[in-house]
Amino acid sequence: MDQSTGQGQIAIRLDSVVKRYGDHTVIDNVSLSVEEGQVVAIIGPSGAGKSTLLRCINLLERPDSGRITLEGKTVDAGAEISPKDLAELRRNAGMVFQSFNLFPHLTVLRNVSLAQERVLRRSRKEADARSMELLDRVGLADKAAQYPGRCSGGQQQRIAIARALALDPKVMLFDEPTSSLDPELGLEVLSVMRELAVEGMTMVVVTHEMQFAKDVSDHLAVMADGAIIEEGLPAEIFRAPTHDRTRRFLSALLER
Amino acid sequence: MTVFAAILSGVPTTLLLTFAAFGIGVVGGVPLALARRSPHPLPRLTARALIELLRGIPPIVWLFFVFFGVGNSVPGIQPMNAAIISLGVISCAYMAEIYRGGLSAIQRGQWEAGEALGMNRTSVLSKVIGPQVFRISVPAAATYAIGLLKDSSVAYTIGVTEVMFYANEQSRSTSDAIVPFLMAAFVYVVMTIPCAWAARTLDSRLRKRVAR
Amino acid sequence: MSVIDDWLQYYPSLLSGLWVSVRLAALSLCIGMPLGLPFALGSGATSRPLRLCTIALVEIGRGIPALVVLQLVYFGLPSVHLTLSSFVAATVALALTTAAYTSEILRGGLQAVPAGEVEAAHALGMSQRDTLRFIVLPQGIRVAIPPLMGLSILIFQATSLAYTIALPELLSQAYSVGSATFRYMSILGLAGLFYAAITIPASWLSERVEKRMARHL
Repeated sequence: MDQSTGQGQIAIRLDSVVKRYGDHTVIDNVSLSVEEGQVVAIIGPSGAGKSTLLRCINLLERPDSGRITLEGKTVDAGAEISPKDLAELRRNAGMVFQSFNLFPHLTVLRNVSLAQERVLRRSRKEADARSMELLDRVGLADKAAQYPGRCSGGQQQRIAIARALALDPKVMLFDEPTSSLDPELGLEVLSVMRELAVEGMTMVVVTHEMQFAKDVSDHLAVMADGAIIEEGLPAEIFRAPTHDRTRRFLSALLER
Repeated sequence: MTVFAAILSGVPTTLLLTFAAFGIGVVGGVPLALARRSPHPLPRLTARALIELLRGIPPIVWLFFVFFGVGNSVPGIQPMNAAIISLGVISCAYMAEIYRGGLSAIQRGQWEAGEALGMNRTSVLSKVIGPQVFRISVPAAATYAIGLLKDSSVAYTIGVTEVMFYANEQSRSTSDAIVPFLMAAFVYVVMTIPCAWAARTLDSRLRKRVAR
Repeated sequence: MSVIDDWLQYYPSLLSGLWVSVRLAALSLCIGMPLGLPFALGSGATSRPLRLCTIALVEIGRGIPALVVLQLVYFGLPSVHLTLSSFVAATVALALTTAAYTSEILRGGLQAVPAGEVEAAHALGMSQRDTLRFIVLPQGIRVAIPPLMGLSILIFQATSLAYTIALPELLSQAYSVGSATFRYMSILGLAGLFYAAITIPASWLSERVEKRMARHL
């Protein structure tokens, strides 16, 4: 599924990003480029810093040094960023969390519409119309009036995807989107993600789903101990990993 | 700073009153909590009514009831004793509820394990459940003790020579209401802070040995 | 029985005292609880000096017995040329106490809102204010309702302390009748029952509300 090479437009760039928690270096001088329309999967053992790296992209984590460039806007690690610029950056990056993080006190429709009204200043009518479109797209239009608590995990995650898409982001960030789900429910979510990829959405996905990484992603990055130890075409890395750590990680996975 | 010294002289009485009442509550709360959980309606409902009344009526009202009410028929009740008795009995009710909460928090499995080992219900209660209930109750009990310390201030109204008594006396003799009462406020705040800190450290240490 | 005779004879004056107590409690709560919200927000502020200042004020407010606050407001303020009637002084004192305790309760409620939801709101680009207004406050205040009900009952009980500043509330009335007739036990008993008649059903209601809310989660 190789659809981006040669286009050259960089959607996301991380330059020499470093993040420390106390003495522990979670991200050790990592650089990564994501082209428009590319789907990048980040895999690796727990504690490798994958989620932290992802969260640096939309500045949920502030790196200690390095640069983040998203859709042409660059943020330096040490520099102050105004709330306005921060909001704009985050509007361009939609994020889907492992624990869904839907708002339980609001209906599904309101979950998807709220940020549209408050951040994009759409009217309630416009927002709700767009929300229904998106809910329909993820197959959950009939759940609009329900509360998230009444929905299964897979449904909640799909609603979360709709909520993130509602702001018309340029890129979508997925932080282990299926890790909290039964394999069956996970499939619903993965198929939505596949569709997004086919439509050309730029995606960065931290995942343990090797099948997805192999089939859907254009570019694979393997992280361990805070660094990217290997990157390239998924098929090649799976077939013949060059780094020892990668080999160990992949064989442990395959042996299960 | 004789005003401050006078107010400080009330501290031992405040502390004595608080600890005595709390002690009564810690001990007396046990039979009350057990009665509350009794399968027989008579002890259970009596205990319930008693607890509700003791917690539902303000401490100062109970204080007056004991000192002026009961004290009228039973002459010679000392203010300090009346205060300890009334606050102590109220504490029994609060501690009983704290114990009740602790009891329901202990896993059912503990009961079953004890019985499976051949222990009778009393032994399970005293050797397995009881110690855990005490440990689990420490944070709530400590919070209650701090509240009790503050509530003890009402005892001055019947002449107990604790902090408020001296603050009142000083304010009248110096015709200045602000300084003595601010000092009293300071004294109470200072007394409660170490208790709160002790409660927090005790809580984290004891929490490790409780099965939830 | 002479106890019943006492009750029948003196219940009107106790009832008028009860009315004062209820009004005092209601007013103190209506003023004090909203006052607790800014302090609850300040306790969680990102700015360290603001946070420490707020927490210090709240801890002091919770550490001072309500009785002392009553004396300070009623007897102390006249020294700075601010003389309040006993009802107003009692209201001010209890409102301040209410605010301090409310602040802690609300802080707990706000903290109970899962951090992940706040992150999701931020990831969506929502401002701090909007996140607070739409996500944190609605859920946080809801969680705080049962403990706030418990606090209300305690504040109502605390109105009895206004006896010390000559407010003709329930306890004062009971005590004056008692000291005139020496029928302390029966009159104080009736006063106690009046207090219980309000606090006990109120705590049952509070328990029911708590159970209902736990079900909906």
